[in-house]
Amino acid sequence: MTAVLDRTLDGAYPDYLRCLDDADETGAIDIAVALLDYGVPADRVLLDLVAPAQAQVGEWWARNEWSVAQEHAATHVSERVVAAVAATVRPRPSRERIVVACLDGEWHALPARLVAEVLRLDGWDVTFLGASVPSPHLVSYLHRHDPRAVLLACALPMRLPHAFRAIEACRRTDVPVLVGGRAFGADGRWARKLGVAWAADARAASAVLATPAFDVPHGASFLDDAEYAGLVAARVELIDLALDRLDLARYSPPQVDATVADLGYIVDSLTAAVYVDDATLFGEFVSWMRTVLASRKVPLQTVGSTFDVMAGRLRDFPRARAYLRGAAPRLAA
Amino acid sequence: MSTADVAGSESGGRPVPTAATPDRSAGTPVGRRRPSVVLPAATVLDNFREGVVVTDPAGVIREFSEPALRLMPGLAVGRTLAGCGVNPLTVGEQTVGDRRVRCRRVELTVGGATSIAWYVEDVTDAVARSDALLAERGRARFLAMASQKLGNPLHEDRAARAAVRLAVPTLGEVAVVLLAPRRGRARWWRAAGGDADGPALVDGGVLDADDMPAAVEQALRGEEPSEADWLADQFADAGWLGDRDLTRVTVRVVALPGSASATGALLVARSTDLDEHDMDMLRGFAARAGAALDAAVLYRDQAEVAETLQNSLAPTEPPSVGGVQWGAAYRPAQSSLRIGGDFYGAHELPEGGALFYLGDVSGKGVDAAVFTGQIRQGLQALRRIESDPARLLTLLNDSVLETTRANGHGRFATMVLGRAHPAPGGGLSLTLASGGHLPPVVIRADGSVETVDLRGMLIGVVPDPRIAAVNVQLAAGETCLLFSDGVTEARGGVRGEQFGATRLVDALGGCQRMPAPALAERVEQVIGDWLGGRNHDDIAVFAVRAVSPGSPTRHLHAVPDRRLAS
Repeated sequence: MTAVLDRTLDGAYPDYLRCLDDADETGAIDIAVALLDYGVPADRVLLDLVAPAQAQVGEWWARNEWSVAQEHAATHVSERVVAAVAATVRPRPSRERIVVACLDGEWHALPARLVAEVLRLDGWDVTFLGASVPSPHLVSYLHRHDPRAVLLACALPMRLPHAFRAIEACRRTDVPVLVGGRAFGADGRWARKLGVAWAADARAASAVLATPAFDVPHGASFLDDAEYAGLVAARVELIDLALDRLDLARYSPPQVDATVADLGYIVDSLTAAVYVDDATLFGEFVSWMRTVLASRKVPLQTVGSTFDVMAGRLRDFPRARAYLRGAAPRLAA
Repeated sequence: MSTADVAGSESGGRPVPTAATPDRSAGTPVGRRRPSVVLPAATVLDNFREGVVVTDPAGVIREFSEPALRLMPGLAVGRTLAGCGVNPLTVGEQTVGDRRVRCRRVELTVGGATSIAWYVEDVTDAVARSDALLAERGRARFLAMASQKLGNPLHEDRAARAAVRLAVPTLGEVAVVLLAPRRGRARWWRAAGGDADGPALVDGGVLDADDMPAAVEQALRGEEPSEADWLADQFADAGWLGDRDLTRVTVRVVALPGSASATGALLVARSTDLDEHDMDMLRGFAARAGAALDAAVLYRDQAEVAETLQNSLAPTEPPSVGGVQWGAAYRPAQSSLRIGGDFYGAHELPEGGALFYLGDVSGKGVDAAVFTGQIRQGLQALRRIESDPARLLTLLNDSVLETTRANGHGRFATMVLGRAHPAPGGGLSLTLASGGHLPPVVIRADGSVETVDLRGMLIGVVPDPRIAAVNVQLAAGETCLLFSDGVTEARGGVRGEQFGATRLVDALGGCQRMPAPALAERVEQVIGDWLGGRNHDDIAVFAVRAVSPGSPTRHLHAVPDRRLAS
């Protein structure tokens, strides 16, 4: 690349986005490394260039302006940029060892990776285990290496029940747990509900890790919840009921798969909302789904009638039923 | 026996409480105990375990029984309790003199006159018994809780830290765990100061084996040093007691028993003495902590062995080769292991280009992983004499057949083996050979996905198998993707149907711009979502992408593979 590279984050941002659009790994890395050379601190390059660009990519995907393949390629480029920044700065660890991992089934590793790198810049001795780390592997890693703490990232609220099981598994190794990611709510309210320490961002995480005893398990007595267990048991039946109402003959096989996956997300989000006993979890999911589906020209009334079918089946599930009814207006909004 | 006799003799010839000077200030003096005309009430009362004191509403004593007098020796009719030097009685439990009593208060109205009867029961012994029981229960509960918490960590340091943290404050105000020295050095952890306000602070250090307090050496030999051996001084010298007043501290040290010899020693310091029960609890705790440390050491040793073996069997990072970009994803079926029955790899060829492969052996888990190691070693050796993929597979077949026959385990493998070399007009020329493996797919520059027509027979079953071979041209930006049956046979969806080749082709369509690592990751992710948490077979994906030879590969491996990180 021969173009003059911008010296400021704001100036570099549009060029950087263009590199993501072109899946231009070399160009993106050149921009980031040039900023470092011009004296922009590494944590700012990560948090104020890479992170917002990646958020933008996610938004383009949600609005159907980018294909999932484009999003994936751009994410890969961002990963390489983060690695290049880390390799350029090479902070020397002066603090204890921290393990950062995305929970099983969590493929959005970049936010966690950014946190890992910012912690490294803060002097922590960080091991990043990557995306979708199976719990047994994570637990044996913790037993083996005795870190100061483990940071678990989870992006999807519908995965909170799984996340909590993984948190418990980690706690059984006696290693303190800190969680982060959108799954726990923008203000961490579902982390509080589950009784686990939460940090809003990388800098907050570093501060929490520096406090002596931050992981004090509490609460979570609501977890032996018959309604939650009932929903888990009814998952396949609910999806089948909803599928029965659709004219699947008009769908292509990939459309059928996508529909089945979407129905799964609806049931899982509903189940997670019951799990943390909070209607807003399901409401936020429905608003997001509305954006995604509307931009893909999926008629929203089919979703509405799906909610009706599910609510009909869930007569003995007062909360799930109320959440479905309460969220229906969001489809129109 | 008449009432008069009873009243007169006052059972057992004890001094008859004589009416003292009536307390003028407190109601009407009543004089001596009123004899009952119906029942020998006094006798009945005197044989109650409860003592009885009857007063008038103003508190002046009208009557009392013998047990009441034993509990409150100053009692006298006509006086108030205070006047007799006895503290006022209250309902419930209280201390009277050196006894613990429980009082009931009953108002009695007989013939218009109201009296207050206090029933005073001596519960000193019962309380002592229930205190002992509670203490015993508390000790049992503490040991049960300790067992549970100590069983959690499988790391030596963490187990030692957990032990000292748990020991404070129940066992002592300071607790130190010292591990038996290794290579002349002994590591120790100390907890001190924990109370309701916060957890104990834990620190630690290393001690030269020669500087160990004699009492610790004794404990490590399995003896229990007695307190008289100047324990406090020894431990103060080691710096463990801080600025505590040594004249007011009791120190005990016990061994942490291990499977062979003592794993370490536990010492506690406190300001109160330890009785036999406390010592039993200390020893019980030490036994549990010793077992936990022992398990942690065992786990460490075994994990080290397992890690070394896993590292030797885990896929290695492919070498960087001009014009080729590699991408790989691997998810073993047993998620606590990092190895399985799928394998892949690449080697650079001396004449340029590279040899690459992906395969799958029969069986699962560690056995299968060991077999993949044999196959990879076989390839590593044989590629030096043969670089044509089909002929190389034939040679490998013979070698595998020989080994499996010798070992009698009847294992076999499927694999795709390819050679990539730069094509004259740019891009890569691939020669692919298959031994019974799923055919690879090619992602073309226009985003279309082709399945390579490639079959062949299993490796390691018959001598001289039919090996299929085919040539594939990749223009720059095109990718050939090898994968194992864990991908297409992944069961998911609503009812656990197989993912299948069609879905794979659909998932790769339009992905022509993706770098090879992103493509491999994408397949892993799509399969992961499809599985939705279900169990799966080993999943392996290996992508070979043609890139222009000049394009920099310097950042290609900048991201350390997360599997290598562990």
